[in-house]
Amino acid sequence: MTTLEGRAAPTPGTADVPAARRRLRAPKGLGALPISVWILLFFILPFGLVVWYSFGYKPGLYVTHANDVLSLDRYGQAASPAFFSIFVRTLKIAVTGTVICLAIAFPMAYWMAVKLAPKWRGIVLALILIPYWTNFLVRTIGWQISLSPEGFVSKTLQWAHLTDGPLHVLYTSAAVQLGVVYNYLPLMILPLYVALERLDPKLLEASRDLGGTVWSTFWHVTIPLSMPGVTAGMLLVFVPLMGDYITPTVLGGASGSMVGQMVAAQFQSAQNWALGSAMAVLLMLAIFGTSAVVGAALKVVGAIATAATSLKLPLKENA
Amino acid sequence: MTDTASVSKPVRRRRIRPGDALLNVWGMLGLLFLFFPIVVIVVFSFNTGRTLQMFEGFGVDAYVSAMNNPAIVNAITVSLITAAGTAVVATLLGTFAGIALTRRPGWWAPGLLVLLGLVMVTPEIVSAISLLPWFVTLGVDWGFDAFNIGQVRLIIANSLFASAVVTFIVRARMTGMNEFLEEAAADLYAPPFRRFTDITLPLIRPAVISGALLAFTLSLDNTVVSSFVSVAGSTPWPVYIFASLKASLRPDIAAMSTLMLVLTLIVLAVAALILRRDPTGEGGGAAGLTSAMVGR
Repeated sequence: MTTLEGRAAPTPGTADVPAARRRLRAPKGLGALPISVWILLFFILPFGLVVWYSFGYKPGLYVTHANDVLSLDRYGQAASPAFFSIFVRTLKIAVTGTVICLAIAFPMAYWMAVKLAPKWRGIVLALILIPYWTNFLVRTIGWQISLSPEGFVSKTLQWAHLTDGPLHVLYTSAAVQLGVVYNYLPLMILPLYVALERLDPKLLEASRDLGGTVWSTFWHVTIPLSMPGVTAGMLLVFVPLMGDYITPTVLGGASGSMVGQMVAAQFQSAQNWALGSAMAVLLMLAIFGTSAVVGAALKVVGAIATAATSLKLPLKENA
Repeated sequence: MTDTASVSKPVRRRRIRPGDALLNVWGMLGLLFLFFPIVVIVVFSFNTGRTLQMFEGFGVDAYVSAMNNPAIVNAITVSLITAAGTAVVATLLGTFAGIALTRRPGWWAPGLLVLLGLVMVTPEIVSAISLLPWFVTLGVDWGFDAFNIGQVRLIIANSLFASAVVTFIVRARMTGMNEFLEEAAADLYAPPFRRFTDITLPLIRPAVISGALLAFTLSLDNTVVSSFVSVAGSTPWPVYIFASLKASLRPDIAAMSTLMLVLTLIVLAVAALILRRDPTGEGGGAAGLTSAMVGR
């Protein structure tokens, strides 16, 4: 079947093809309709409802929401000092987590794409995909077992006299930080790997032929060409990390809680859908706002870098 | 030029530079880090103790008790039915959308792509808390009883993200194909349905099958959205684990998780084999394979 497809490329007849195109057109444009309806019904309308609820209020103990009086009060209530401090902690964990992921993932992706022999690449790639596809919650529980004060890591450390007492990491924000770096690391490695694997080795050779050292080649060729992967990876890690609910629930305890849990609590235990909706809207605004700011900043940095290199290159040629 | 390259390469490989050695160590440590908690879970699934955290002895007791626990078996059944249903819905929606996006991209195409992207990047917790009130509105306030059934809610909730993934996989496969075969069929007066079943579908079969398998595993792993939309009696497996976190974790959970991990790995291996056999589409090459498997 596939060989046929490659072979079948005769010069299209002048009159027949447009006619065939017209005949093909009608049924296929409809293909996008079901998914559009599905997204409208179960993504746009539900979120619209959340935005609507966020302008309402919780009228009584057993009622989740009411919208007969509309106001922005829930947003004021959501931006309370308690919410704000957890929000700042979430942002801190997310930014730190994204940076640590990048620092761990870049050398790994570089190792896989540039240094590793091609026959090993597929195997290492599979080894990175396996943790990614293992249940998120189960992996996090693996850390909970390991970090507990009576756990085997704690006992080993005490046995080796590396710590004085039991390990006190579980249920702190340090445990959450470790958990999120672990959970989102594959999402940083994979786009970086894809970007670095597509990097043409000829460009690296050209840079060396033109007298570039290992470091100048790395800074002026490898880094700029991996920027799409860096941006994609940062987005893929930062966005879900900001809304993470499982990692802080399993590892965080009271001192490591994040915004996702606060939103969830309003819909579950507190049954205050109006306030929860306002928090969710604020969370979405914060995520997209931060992503846009970082994206713009990266663009500016990229532009400066290109300008700097293009200024430098002719200078080198003259020298 | 080619001579110098072929001569210099073996020489460079034999002499390992300190920088390369450091990268090797870094890569190995990274892999160890990624596998650490998984190994912990697998090891602790052979724990004979009463709680998961304290390893007391080695044995397969946990596997036996997990298999004989009706709540666990029920949760696994709910998860498998949900995953199968999600795979069917997501594959149908995603395949048609992927074909339409490559073959007849109209004014709606950029908008649909942005929407699909939004579906994929919206944090799960936000999707979860928006679907819960919506299902309550549809099912309780407006009387559409279907939306009160746990299984229906779970399949709808899981199929959104999964159908976006299938759409992108099918779209990637279609981009590498020209349209002459379909036109030839049209010229030979094949009706649209025959054209689709006899020409288009066989050509994109690898993408459709691997998309369906990915949708299946995505749904099997989903915790956050499922825990919000599920109703009593139809608790999927990850939600069961999440609920037992508050009480205490028993080794049964590690045992069943290990079995589910094996199932996921088998499904993914099949998906990878199908994608690798596909010589023309984006699925070719490790990088393309990665993009397809990550679904992004």
